[in-house]
Amino acid sequence: MSTNFDILPATELKPPVSERGIIGWVYSNLFSNRFNTTLTVVFGVILGAAAWFGLKWLIVDADWTVIGTLGGQMVIGQYNIEAACPGKNCFWRPQASLLLVTMLLGMGWGIIGGGLAKRIAIGVVAVLAAFSLLPYSLERMGLDVRLLLLANIPALAAGWALARYTPLGSARWLVVLAVGTFLVTLVLLRGVEGVPGLQPVSVIYWGGLMLNLLLAVAGIALSFPIGIALALGRRSRLPVVKLLCVVFIEVFRGVPLITLLFMSQVLVPLAFPEDFPLNSLLRAAIVITLFSAAYMAENIRGGLQALHRGQAEAAASLGLANWQTTLFITLPQAIRNVIPAIVGQFISLFKDTSLVYIIGMLDVVEISRVFIQGNPEFIPSAQELFIFLALVFWIFCYSMSYVSRRIEEHLGVGSR
Amino acid sequence: MDAESNNSSDDIIIATDVHKWFGSFHVLKGVTTSVKRGEKVVILGPSGSGKSTFIRTLNRLEVHQRGTIVIDGVELTDDVRNIDTIRREIGMVFQQFNLFPHLTVMQNITLAPTKVRKWPKSQAEEIAIELLTRVGIPEQADKFPSQLSGGQQQRVAIARALAMQPKIMLFDEPTSALDPEMIKEVLDVMRELATSGMTMLIISHEIGFAREVADRVIFMDEGEIVEMGTSEQLFTNPQEPRTQLFLDQILTH
Repeated sequence: MSTNFDILPATELKPPVSERGIIGWVYSNLFSNRFNTTLTVVFGVILGAAAWFGLKWLIVDADWTVIGTLGGQMVIGQYNIEAACPGKNCFWRPQASLLLVTMLLGMGWGIIGGGLAKRIAIGVVAVLAAFSLLPYSLERMGLDVRLLLLANIPALAAGWALARYTPLGSARWLVVLAVGTFLVTLVLLRGVEGVPGLQPVSVIYWGGLMLNLLLAVAGIALSFPIGIALALGRRSRLPVVKLLCVVFIEVFRGVPLITLLFMSQVLVPLAFPEDFPLNSLLRAAIVITLFSAAYMAENIRGGLQALHRGQAEAAASLGLANWQTTLFITLPQAIRNVIPAIVGQFISLFKDTSLVYIIGMLDVVEISRVFIQGNPEFIPSAQELFIFLALVFWIFCYSMSYVSRRIEEHLGVGSR
Repeated sequence: MDAESNNSSDDIIIATDVHKWFGSFHVLKGVTTSVKRGEKVVILGPSGSGKSTFIRTLNRLEVHQRGTIVIDGVELTDDVRNIDTIRREIGMVFQQFNLFPHLTVMQNITLAPTKVRKWPKSQAEEIAIELLTRVGIPEQADKFPSQLSGGQQQRVAIARALAMQPKIMLFDEPTSALDPEMIKEVLDVMRELATSGMTMLIISHEIGFAREVADRVIFMDEGEIVEMGTSEQLFTNPQEPRTQLFLDQILTH
């Protein structure tokens, strides 16, 4: 070697480490210049004041007795009042339905295994079990109600064991049983003529959170497949199918949900014979489902449009038929890519179930409003009541959002 | 070229006077050629020459509007059953790989054999492992396409097409989207495939590869076949000025 360059060993440099510490961070992010300092002070004062008054209200002023007074009505509406259920002994039917749902959660945990399914199952059952310990007199909250709530713990264990130790432990069975549970729930709640203990309870008395959840579950479970069908139909090469789907989507998207709900009550009785077996609850469920399906269809169509043409071409070149290409290649990718929009639609649907007040149904919001109206002594408690309602809705909606994010992570959306 | 269109049982692809329009744009202006069983044909031509459209008409990813295409004795028509039969016999490799990103490498390869050929999963997986070994990446079976390099993805795409045990393989610029250091690994797989006796139609500008593998080279321009011959004839002694110009451009860049 004739050169005399000193080849220095390439030292591996670590990325620079911040040595500023907390004070350094505060200084450079909050007080680095005059403008920054002003912003920090102004927002600090606003936040401080909000926190002061908010906490003072929450701890000192707020009176939450209204929630206990409404109590079970927020959950099941007027389902168990004397007029709906002579003898007021129908409360066990919604609770039994709840036990079935808990069993499903347990099965989901058993099938999917730890992680998210486990956390949801345990979280839900923990809350239900905690309800059984509410510090009300046995007069207001009977031992039977409390025991049925506690029974959710063995129900969860039973579901888990069913999934682990019987042939029912597969995703396919879970879907079948979920549909079955929903139907059993409807029969349980509706009752059967002539069967002791199951005297019919008219749907006009169904209410509270139970009503919101029933409508939301039915709406979500049905609007998703209907939306997929509409999205595929809108891309169909058959002009009639395409036209029908476009008309359907645009009509249901073009009319406010409140208007549709109202029309379902006013127009359906005109168009069908008087004894047509479509009660108001069913009509509301159908309208909410179709309304949501129209939006769902457009979300999914967006996902399909965004796919590269090469995907379908590669599938076709391998000899897959069109329906196989859709089922195995394009649809799964399209749905995966629009999960945020789909879950947004689910959340929106859940919140929209409150709109059934327009047709006289007492969902959790409406029954609270009616209660305040009918009990003027509670008018000052309206704040507490509606803040509580907001929290209830938020918990459900945030849970959906959380689950969807975890599913996205699991499917590797954005990274593959 | 008339002699080419004479039917013979040796010809697995017979294209006669194939025309295709995109709107009013005439992409294919009467392409006539045939390919013998086991023949390796490399197609060259400037972009927009219709070479890609032509091989895509062979498995009906594009529909030709005039002329006839007969694959292994079956004519390509609107009849869906014919199309499905023909697609089962023709494998295709794309410039952009077009692997299914939501499926693992193994699932990418076994999907068509299990759904179309109705093979049991175990048999399809056995064949998939065999093919992955053949293309040199058996250890990648459980990865997702995005976890592989471009060259590896293209080799998976080749394995996926081969899993259907096709009689013909179409390659639409298989190395054009690859980084230079990965081109060789894909060409090596294709070389190996060529020696196994597969009928191959390859759109490629890899002249070295064409010289080595091609029984025949076709030069296309403006929707028609300008010139064809052995790689020796076409590369060292092109007859048409358009061929000469094109070769000058790609050889001296």
